Amino acid sequence: MPYGRPDPSDPNILVGVRLPADEDGLVEMAYTFAEEFAALGHGEDRILRMFHNPRFGGPHAAYRALGEEVVRGIVAECTRVFGRNRLVVRDAEPIKNGERLGSRREE
Amino acid sequence: MAEVHNWQLGRGMSYPYEAAYPKRQFAFVFNINRCIACQTCTMACKSTWTFSKGQEHMWWANVETKPYGGYPQSWDIKTLRLLEEADPDGQQWRGDADGRSAPYGQFGGKSIFEAQLPEKAAESQRVLGYLPTDEEWNSPNIWEDNAVGPKGKRDALHPTGVELPTHDTWFFYLARICNHCSYPACLAACPRKAIYKRPEDGVVLIDQKQCRGYRKCVEACPYKKSMYRGNVRVSEKCIACYPRLEGKDPERPGEPMETRCMAACIGQLRMQGLVEIEADGTWKEDRYNPLYYLVHVAKVALPLYPQFGTQPNGYYIPPRWAPRPYLRQMFGPGVDDAIERYIHPDRELLGVLQLFRRDNRIIYRYALEDGEEIYRTTYRGKQHVVYDDTVIALGRDGKELFRTTVEEPFHVRSDRHANSI
Repeated sequence: MPYGRPDPSDPNILVGVRLPADEDGLVEMAYTFAEEFAALGHGEDRILRMFHNPRFGGPHAAYRALGEEVVRGIVAECTRVFGRNRLVVRDAEPIKNGERLGSRREE
Repeated sequence: MAEVHNWQLGRGMSYPYEAAYPKRQFAFVFNINRCIACQTCTMACKSTWTFSKGQEHMWWANVETKPYGGYPQSWDIKTLRLLEEADPDGQQWRGDADGRSAPYGQFGGKSIFEAQLPEKAAESQRVLGYLPTDEEWNSPNIWEDNAVGPKGKRDALHPTGVELPTHDTWFFYLARICNHCSYPACLAACPRKAIYKRPEDGVVLIDQKQCRGYRKCVEACPYKKSMYRGNVRVSEKCIACYPRLEGKDPERPGEPMETRCMAACIGQLRMQGLVEIEADGTWKEDRYNPLYYLVHVAKVALPLYPQFGTQPNGYYIPPRWAPRPYLRQMFGPGVDDAIERYIHPDRELLGVLQLFRRDNRIIYRYALEDGEEIYRTTYRGKQHVVYDDTVIALGRDGKELFRTTVEEPFHVRSDRHANSI
């Protein structure tokens, strides 16, 4: 079986595709997505667009089940709580005249 | 059969040998919420221990997609089914939690040691189990993320399983290694007494000279983490990278190191250590050991299929988005409280979660230094306060390994060097 097509007569074949989460599960899923992307620095609009987009299957499934108002509330709450990013641009000092590339690594 | 206390079941349990506990026990916590199934752990293990001829099918560390997949395929479904057949409708939890000796209440069903019928309980058949087929070992992860369609219909994809706009499936990634159980089924089943548990760290090993390749360990281990190697005709399994535990890795001579799979984890979901064990087999109170804290104080980390009865030493922070009945079956009755605490972490839990993967040396203790309040708000109806505390990891000799803070800045490459790796 493993190298060929799945054998439908196999009682343990992995057909359990449709295991719908209940509403609680979808709320949790929506919060999880919103939290993660808020923590990554995405803004409210950007996260909402992901929920609206059917190509983001997980968030969109939650969006269809929960509706615009609930999802909007979740996204707003998550960006308020987790969207507090502090970005630091850190780079090496420029190479000085006469300095050999890679010489700092040996220090 | 001897009577032993299984604290994960919250009761006494039959086991083929008298209880014997190590001084310290190899244990680990995996935070499933962070796992992206990148398989870096899998390859770190593979490239260290199982790259030789005859080991092609061996993945001592693996990551599988739940609920669809498994390595070997269907390992958990098959063992759960055997237990259900042995004890129909009896595999239930009951009772209240009672400290460290019964933190999840009592398991009223049968473990794999108890479900074995007395008439079958010969020397070589002491544990309920099954031997996976070669095909089930051969292809880890195959078809796991594919929706193959309704049962019994070839090439018919499930209409809502694969097409946009809906994709009403859920899954999570389960990273697994040998649990180095306190009551190992592999050890119990071996007719050659070739398997032993090290008294210094509880690591379960197969004596390669004593093993004759009967595969009783493969049959008995409910997690299927003992594997048969055909070309040398003996079984092999995860050795918990014991040279690293012993401080023999050239990376840090003399210092106990976490295993290769832990060290390689880019998702920072794995933490491994050595916990102290009481004379009765329970965990010795060690309030500021991070593993003790996660398992016994915060109670966010739960054992994998505790109902099997082997008292596994791998613990998981359950994935918060997966349906609860499935999670309760997999991690026991502590799931709901664990997820609630993970969603609303207190000050200490936030600090301890920062300890994951900042260093490859084993953390024996941690300390917290109070920081300033960063912000205060409400989140999902509860007060949410975050402090920029400093958490300090301490090694075996009490020396500081590293320190980190709750709030960490994102470090961004400048435009000039954005792609200069």
